[in-house]
Parts: sequence; structure tokens; C-alpha cells
Amino acid sequence: MRGIDFVVKRVLFAIATVFVAITLNFVLFRAIPGDAIQALRCQHCTVQFKNALRKELGLDKSKWTQYRLYVQGLAHGDMGKSLRSQNPVTHELWPAIKNTIPMVALGYVFSIILGTITGVIAAWRRGTIVDRGSVGTALAFYSMPPQWLGLMIVLFLASAVGLPTSGIKDPSLGILGEPSLWTVVIDRLRHMVLPSLSIGLVLYGEYTLVVRSAMLETLGEDYVLTARAKGLSSWATVWKHAFRNALLPIVTLVAISLGFIIGGFITIEYVFSYPGIGLAIVEAIDQRDYPILQGAFLLLALAVIFFNLVADLLYFKLDPRVTT
Amino acid sequence: MRAPLLDVSDLHVWFDLGGRGEVHAVRGIDFSVDEGERFGLVGESGCGKTTAILALMGLLPPNASVAGQVLLAGENVLARGEDSAAPHRWSEIAMVFQGAMNAFNPVRTIGEQIVEPMELHDVAEGRVAVLRARELLEVVGIPADRAARYPHEFSGGMRQRAAIAMALACNPKILLADEPTTALDVMVQAQILELLTALANDFGLALVLVTHDLPVVAQVCERAAVMYAGVIAELGPVDELYHDPRHPYTRLLFAATPDLYGDDEVVSIPGAPPRLDREPIGCPFAPRCDRAFAPCPTVTPRMLEVGTHHLAACHLNERVVEAVS
Amino acid sequence: MTIVEAASAPEAPASVRAGVFRHVLGQPQAIVGLAVVSVFALVALLEPVLISGDPKEKVAAVFQAPSSAHLLGTDGGGADMLKLLAAGAQISLLVGFAAAVVSALIGGSFGLLAGFFGGKTDIVLMRITDYVLVIPDVPLMVVAAALFGRSITNIILIIGIIYWTTTARLIRAQVKSVRERVYVRRARALGAGNWRLIGKHVLPQVAPLLIANTVLLVAYAIFAEMFITFLGLGDPSLISWGRLIENAFTDDAVLNNAWWAIVPPGVCVMLVVLGSTLLGQAMEDTLNPRLRVGHLSVRRFRIRPVPRTEP
Repeated sequence: MRGIDFVVKRVLFAIATVFVAITLNFVLFRAIPGDAIQALRCQHCTVQFKNALRKELGLDKSKWTQYRLYVQGLAHGDMGKSLRSQNPVTHELWPAIKNTIPMVALGYVFSIILGTITGVIAAWRRGTIVDRGSVGTALAFYSMPPQWLGLMIVLFLASAVGLPTSGIKDPSLGILGEPSLWTVVIDRLRHMVLPSLSIGLVLYGEYTLVVRSAMLETLGEDYVLTARAKGLSSWATVWKHAFRNALLPIVTLVAISLGFIIGGFITIEYVFSYPGIGLAIVEAIDQRDYPILQGAFLLLALAVIFFNLVADLLYFKLDPRVTT
Repeated sequence: MRAPLLDVSDLHVWFDLGGRGEVHAVRGIDFSVDEGERFGLVGESGCGKTTAILALMGLLPPNASVAGQVLLAGENVLARGEDSAAPHRWSEIAMVFQGAMNAFNPVRTIGEQIVEPMELHDVAEGRVAVLRARELLEVVGIPADRAARYPHEFSGGMRQRAAIAMALACNPKILLADEPTTALDVMVQAQILELLTALANDFGLALVLVTHDLPVVAQVCERAAVMYAGVIAELGPVDELYHDPRHPYTRLLFAATPDLYGDDEVVSIPGAPPRLDREPIGCPFAPRCDRAFAPCPTVTPRMLEVGTHHLAACHLNERVVEAVS
Repeated sequence: MTIVEAASAPEAPASVRAGVFRHVLGQPQAIVGLAVVSVFALVALLEPVLISGDPKEKVAAVFQAPSSAHLLGTDGGGADMLKLLAAGAQISLLVGFAAAVVSALIGGSFGLLAGFFGGKTDIVLMRITDYVLVIPDVPLMVVAAALFGRSITNIILIIGIIYWTTTARLIRAQVKSVRERVYVRRARALGAGNWRLIGKHVLPQVAPLLIANTVLLVAYAIFAEMFITFLGLGDPSLISWGRLIENAFTDDAVLNNAWWAIVPPGVCVMLVVLGSTLLGQAMEDTLNPRLRVGHLSVRRFRIRPVPRTEP
């Protein structure tokens, strides 16, 4: 089978990177000057409580032991306990993950579709006003800070379209009895729209630029001239030859941009008070709840590594020239 | 006498350089090619030969403008620009590009790309088209089962052949080949040239072979035109060009080719071709010509008949003509 | 090169520096970008002269709308927005440029060493780059900022350390190609030592690209600073545009409908990022030109009448 060694190599690399991420995670959080527990701020955190917590979390042991325990814990799916709430980190983060994933996915898909379409059209109509307009708009959105874009949407758009701007649940839901599944779903979606839109707009600009650039690159290739010489229409050439090749760098971008979006969705969840991982991170920062931060960071790192792996494998499948 | 298959009159091509003016790359050339004839277009790089044949198919970029007439089987291909050129593509006139290695889309198989124009021009479709593609590959010397392979799996020479097969897909009447043997090693070159000659003979295909490489022209072509700085310097049967050149450039060009078996010194032509963003005065070759005399720098030479179907644009021939008449 | 390509290609500059300048400035977007960034830089530099007093000082009622006294109104603490913006320019731009320079230095060094020495050095350095590249930048920044403190120097360093990877790759590729050029090989054959080669031959060729990349990095750095500040991890004593937006958010500017507290800082960031992106891209395009003719276009070649020649 073609390139099974390629697949194996990439997977091994991904696993190695996971270990680096875990170790980095550990090192960073243990490198806090002073003590994590020391910095903890909460109501019931007396000195005795803190000491007991220290013992319980094994922070009185050597660094090596702590590392070993940490990795062992991870292998069992245990990411420690929230310093603030004493609940397992996984417990705290799981609902947050469930909220974030659909919201980000929606925004992501939106940006990919919008970006690709505008990019292709801009490349096809290179030099015309359509091209300049697309690129200009893309650059403008690309230059907007995500939190600012979110605030602008809240300020100017939200009331106009009647969509909620915070949370994920309408507090009035369920007052008059158990709401139907349909109502719940609609409610969730309504709360998702604006944050997703913000994410989509933040991301799409880069897609437009990259897609346009990739298309222009392929449109300059000899095989495009050959296609034109063979009598293919512009549209057929763009679709059957140019786009298929331009897809390669686009796929890479899709994977890599997950890393970029993380900054975006954290601030957007904050702006919209959307109870996902982003908001959890912000709150954990505020409360110095390091296990939560550690857990969230690890999860995000894993997601990025996974996406990059998928991109590598996809690229491999799409490009018959790749053998190593 | 039958009308020629391809009749080019007064073809001009300009390229607009944006703020920096215009390049007049092809400056009024005339030539014709009969059915089944093998015609060569020779010259140094930059003389305009590639642009000229791209113009025959209307494959010019948006910053180009064109003037003149290109009659293909009686129809003027350039009458309405892209619209009048496009319908003839591949079905009547096809091309093998310079560096055919890159003429193939790397993510699709060779077979698919040969089938594509067949289905587009309703020559064949589906299974029939696939079979025909495989046949064509055999004709050019590639095993038919290679049709399912990707371009990067072929060597340079094989890709060149595959490009030829692809060009033949819709039974064109005339095949344009731009430097078909550059970047191939000598053994493969010879094979490709034999192939082209054989195809022209077997299929009754007219061939326009563009090259800077004189031995190639000598081997394959019956007639040739020598281009210099966008104009045709001399045009005639290859034999006569070789044995009785009537333009100093032709003579020097043939002399500049190293002779493997002879003891002749290698003669090179000093100097460089003129810039094409200015209109030249007089004969464009005058600055480098070893026989230039009074009229050359100021008066543009006209194309004169110097033999049967043999034309040259050089003032030296005027004296001969005058002396004769 | 076919005549089609040759005819459509820009002229290769005789000397890299002079040619680059001319060509970059010839592009309208570069000029716009440069102009925008310069204006803000100027404001940032002249701020102590232009603005008197402490920008954070309360001068009027909270969230007052723009008026002739306060052109951009007041923020949630009653301070004049215009003054705050000018002060913010200083910090935002400082962090942006400084962090970009740090990134460029680290990335440039990695790329230079990896590209020039090749072999084991290359493999090791690039492995490190690969691993760093995959770690998501933002959580790392957040954590580092939370852990190591909130001074401006720390922030600059943190941003700089995160963003060097793409620069490293870019410079490495460039160095590899420069290394193979004739004059470098000649110098080597004449006995020039490695460092001399790097200093005299490789570096001058690579520097323009590095500068172009740094300009582009400014945009990332400004975003990163905004992000850190927005989460409350910025230097509390300093005003930056990011801080202004954060303040607006925490002071419930939205509820007060105080758009003047929200819109201007974002617009400023947007303009600077846009400007540096345009400039940086124009520079990169010049230095890594794509001499491509597009074979597909809506516009087509034109027909012209045959020119008349003298008899």
C-alpha cells in the first residue's frame, strides 16, 4: 500500500508531539514562582485547607514523582481536580467542550466556505474590481481584533436581528414546564449564531487570501495553458484542474488555522459569555485555578496536533506525488 | 493548386508592459503550411517564434494584442480574438508545448487527460475514449497500461511522447511542436523526432516545428523559416537554407552549429538581438552582420524571392536581383 | 523562459537594495501601508508633546458622548478617549515592533544556522521548530503570562518566543538557496571562513526578506498583546489599545451604548495591522516574486489593425 511508512511516520511524530505537549504542560505549571496553592483565591481557602490540599495533590513530593504521577493520571483520564471547586477537571471541562465544539465548528465551516468562494472568484477575476473588493474586505476582517469584532456585533447587530448575546440558555426556558427537545435545540442554536458568526468573520479573511493565492499559483501552471489549448472553458479549467491542485495548500491551511482560531474563540466566548472552554479558561485564569488551565491547554494542544495529523494525511491522499 | 492548410499573413503580436511601454514581439510575418507538410520555425531564444505559434491558436495572455490574418482551412482564426480561435483548438490545430513535462496536471492520470479533449469535442466518450487513449499511447511508443499512471511516474521522454499522444486525441490537421526535444537527452531526442516524422507521414498531419536547434530542423522538416527579432529573415526549403543561404543570419546560424565530424572552427555570432520594445530602424540584424553595407542600418529590407519558394529579407539580394533583371 | 513570461515579468533589480525600494514603493498598497503605520508611529512618538497631563485622569462624566470638548467622548472612568488613544498607540506599537523584532531575531538565527550549516544542525533545529510550531500559541502565552508576571518586558519576550517559527522556515529556505549561488561558492573556494561568508554574503541577501517578515509579524504581535491584555494579564499600569477595549468591556460600555469607547481603539488596531500587512506583503512579493503569467483570465487579448509600414 502506498506510503504506509509515511502514515506511520506522521502518526509517530504526532504521538511524540503529544508527549512534548504533556511535558511542557507539566513544566510550565510547576514553574510558577511560589506555589500554585499559595496564589489560590477562594472563600474557604484557609492556611490549613491549603496545606491539606497541597498534600492531597502531591505537591510536597519531588518534581520527578509529580511528573510520573501526572502522566499516570493522564493515562487513566484523570486530569486532577479543580482547585476551586474540588471537582475533577474532566467533570468541569466536559460540558464546556460540548458547548464549544459545535459553535466553533459552525464558525469554521462558515469561514472555509465563504473564504474559498471569495478566493476562487477573486483569482478568476484577477485584477478586476471584484478581485480588489474581495481582497480588500478580506484584509479588513483579517485585521480586526476578534474581541472587537465580537463587541461590534453585539453593539450593532444583535438587537437588529433579535439574537441573544450571552450564555447558551435562555433563562426563561423551563419555567413553564419541561421544554421539548426541539425548543432546546433551537434555543441553543440561537445562542450560537452570533459567536459563530464572529468566529467565521475573523477566520474567513485569511482563507480568501490563501485560496486566491493558491489559485493564482496554479493558474500560472503550464497544465492550465494546456487545458485552455485543449478547448476547455474557463469554468471547467478552474474547477477540474486549477482548483484540484490549489486544494493542496488549502487543506494545509484548514488544519493550521485551528491553532490560530484558539485566540479568537477564547475572547469571543468571553465577550458573549458563552460557556465553553474559552470562558472556562478565562475564569480559571482569574481564579488561578491551574489544574483547569492545565487540562484545557492539554486538550487544545491535542486538538491542534490531531488536526495537523489529519491535514498531513489528507494532503498525502490528495497529492499523488507525495511519497515520504 | 490547393490552398494551403495554414496561411499566415502579416502577423503582429504586442505585449503591453503596463507602465513601461510595449514589446513588439512579432513584427509582421508571413508563411504558409500545406497539408501534410513538415515546416520548421527556427531562431534564437527571444526571436518571437513561440509567441507566433501561440498566436496561431489564440493562446495569448490578456496583455497581448494581435494583428494580421491566420487562415486555417480558409477561416480566419483571429477575426474575433478568443471567440474565433477557441472552436478550432485541438480538433483542428493542436500543440505540444515547450517543456511538455509540465503540460500535465500532476493530480490526474495521463489517461484521463488524454480522454478529456476527446469527450469535450465529441470525438469519443466513455469506454471508447479510454480505448482510443490507450491506442494513442501505443502509437507513440508507450505501453497502454501506463494510462492509469500519474505524470510524475513517467520519465521526461515518456511525458513528451504522452503529450504528443494527447495532442493527437482529436485528429487535428496540424500539429504545432514547440521545442519538443529541448531538455531531453540526445538518444531520446532522436526517437521523438523520428516519431514526429512518422506521425506526419502516417496520419497526413501537417507539422510546424519550432526550435533553435538546427540539426532538428534538418532532420525533420521540408521547409523552414528563420526568425530574427520578430521578423522572418529567410524562408525556403531546408536544403537550400543549408547549402545556399541568402541571409547572413541564416548562414551564420548554420555555421555556428558545431560539426561533430568536421574540423571547422565553431563560429559564434557576436553581439545580442535588439530590444523589442523599440521599433528598429533598418535591418534588425545589421549591428551583428558581417556583410552589412550602406543601406542596412537605415533601410528595412523587404522579403524578396531569391529562388523557387525561397524568400529572404536582405539588401544583398537586391543587388543580385537588380543585376539579373 | 518563453517570451510570454519574459514580456510580462518585472525587471530583475540590478542591486537588491535599490531595486527593492523602488519596486516596493511603486506598489500603491505599500505606500498606503507605510503611510498608515508612519502616522501612528508619529503619534506614538510625539504623544508626550501632544498630550499634556495624565491621560487616565478623569476630566468629565463617565461615558460622555463625543463633544467639542472631548472629540471622542470619555471612557468608563471619565477620561478623554482621544488622549487615551494616543497614549495607547505608544504601548501597542512598542510591544508590536519589539516583539516582532525578538521573533525575527530568534527565527532568523534558527533559519540562518539551519540553512547555512545543514546536516545535523539543520535537523536538530528544524525538529525543535516542528515541535514548537504545533503547540497552540495562545494558551501557551496565556499560561506563561499568568505565571511569569505582567510586566511589559515579559509580554514582549513571551510574544517574541512564540512567533518565530514561520520566520525560521522562511529564512532557512532562503539561506539554502543563497548558499548555492555562484559567488558564495567562489568565496568559499577562495578560502573564506564560515562566519565571513555569512556576514558578507548570505546575510545581506537574506536581510530584506527578514525585514519584510518582521513587518508582517508586527500585526501578529499587536494581536497577541491585545489578547493577553483582554484577559486581564497585561501590565496594569500601562495603557494600550487592548486595555482600552478590555476596559470598555468590563465597564459595560455596551450597556451604556457608549460606542465611542469601543469603536476607536479597534479601528486603530485594524488600521495598523492592515498597514503593516500591506507593507509586509508588498515587500515579500517583491523579494519572492512570482513571475507568473496567469493563463486564465476574464480579460482577453485584443485585436488591432495592421500597422502601416513605409514603402
